[in-house]
Formats: sequence, C-alpha cells, structure tokens
Amino acid sequence: MAEPKTPWLYPYREDPQQTRLGQPVFRPFVPVSLAIEGASTPELEGLVDTGADAILTSDLLADELGLDLADNEGEELHAVGGRTVIARYKTVSLRLHHHGDPSIRCEWEAPVGFVDGWHSFGLVLLGNVGFLDQFTVTASRFSQAVAVEDRNSLDDRFGVVMA
Amino acid sequence: MEAAGIIDCVKPTRTDFKGYEGKYVATDTRTGQVVIADEDLKVVLEKARQLDHVVVGGRVPYADEPIYVGLG
Repeated sequence: MAEPKTPWLYPYREDPQQTRLGQPVFRPFVPVSLAIEGASTPELEGLVDTGADAILTSDLLADELGLDLADNEGEELHAVGGRTVIARYKTVSLRLHHHGDPSIRCEWEAPVGFVDGWHSFGLVLLGNVGFLDQFTVTASRFSQAVAVEDRNSLDDRFGVVMA
Repeated sequence: MEAAGIIDCVKPTRTDFKGYEGKYVATDTRTGQVVIADEDLKVVLEKARQLDHVVVGGRVPYADEPIYVGLG
C-alpha cells in the first residue's frame, strides 16, 4: 500500500445537517473511492469516525461497483443513530485521494459493510477496521483540519503504548 | 476566534446547501460550492466521474427531517 510519506491534510467540511443549536456543522471528511475488478466510484465524502468499528457505506454504491450483495462475506446487525441496520460485507479496494491533487492516492483492501437504504450525507463511514488500522489520523476541531499519515507515526511520536 | 469556533488561520470548507434539500449533491473540494445536484444518486455519480476536484457528498436533508447521530 502506498502510504502518505508526509501528512495529508484536509480542512473540515460542512455537513448539511444542522444539529448544534442552529450552527453549521463541520466534520472530518476525507475523499475516498471504492473499487473492485475494474469498476470504481468517483470520489466520495468519507467521514472519519473513531467510534465506528468498521467501514460502512450505502448499498446504493454496490450497484455502481457491480456487486452482488447476496454473495457476501457476512452480515452484521449494527445499532447506529438509535436504530438498527443490516450491513452486508464485501472486501473491496479503497482509495484515499490527496486534497490538492486527487490523482495522487493510496490504495488498500478492506471489508466494507453495505447498508440498505443509507443515503445521508457522508456516503462512507471510515471506522477502525479498514481505515484507522491503516493510517495515523489526527483530527482537530480547534484547527478545523484532519491529518492522515503513515500508520507508524503515532508510535514514532509517542512511543509504543503498553497496555 | 469567532463564536462558531472558526479560527483565523484555518477555515473549514463552507457550502451553501440551500435549495438542494432532498437532492444528492457533489461539491468542489477547493471551494465547497455545489456543482452537481440531482434527485437520483446515479446521475450525480455519473457526472462526478467527468470532473476533477469533485466529491460526492450524499443527500441533503429537509429542515424538518429527523437527524440521526450516526447513519441516516
């Protein structure tokens, strides 16, 4: 996998949801695309979510990739947003695109859970397995930016954390 | 620092979503401006393929729609 040798920086981006006292909501979105066997999506808003265990996305994108979700690698029931959803998992390639030059990207494979009927803003939820295990991600609401860099960067900065 | 927490040195990318409620949108990553909008996600995805610096966001909710904390 090609990893960012220097941190790739992305400004926080506005979410159309108005959830905080009428103030605009800014989130750590990064541009990602999904690909498999010659098919790929255009760049999509990927929401960095440290509280999510997996990568989840809309089943609407499965058609775009020509995926048959009936032939999946497993199904899981997830509780999100006060309701439950079923995610059907398939391993696909993910691409993280550089903010300044989208042709620069790094690519890796990960299981992605396709959720029925999910159509809200931020079409890809980037959780721990498949994204946060691939990079060191630093998000700062104060700085209004998110940095994605080599996954060893945290150990380099702080040393190996012992349990 | 401004009241909304926007600092002077780095500004988040703002987008004016008014008028796009109920539609899927794609925005320019450099300006935040909506450049594609349609009620059919497939149309937005297809058009986005042909443009650089464009990212497909998703569907803009109506003001009176319930907002989910996670997936919506």
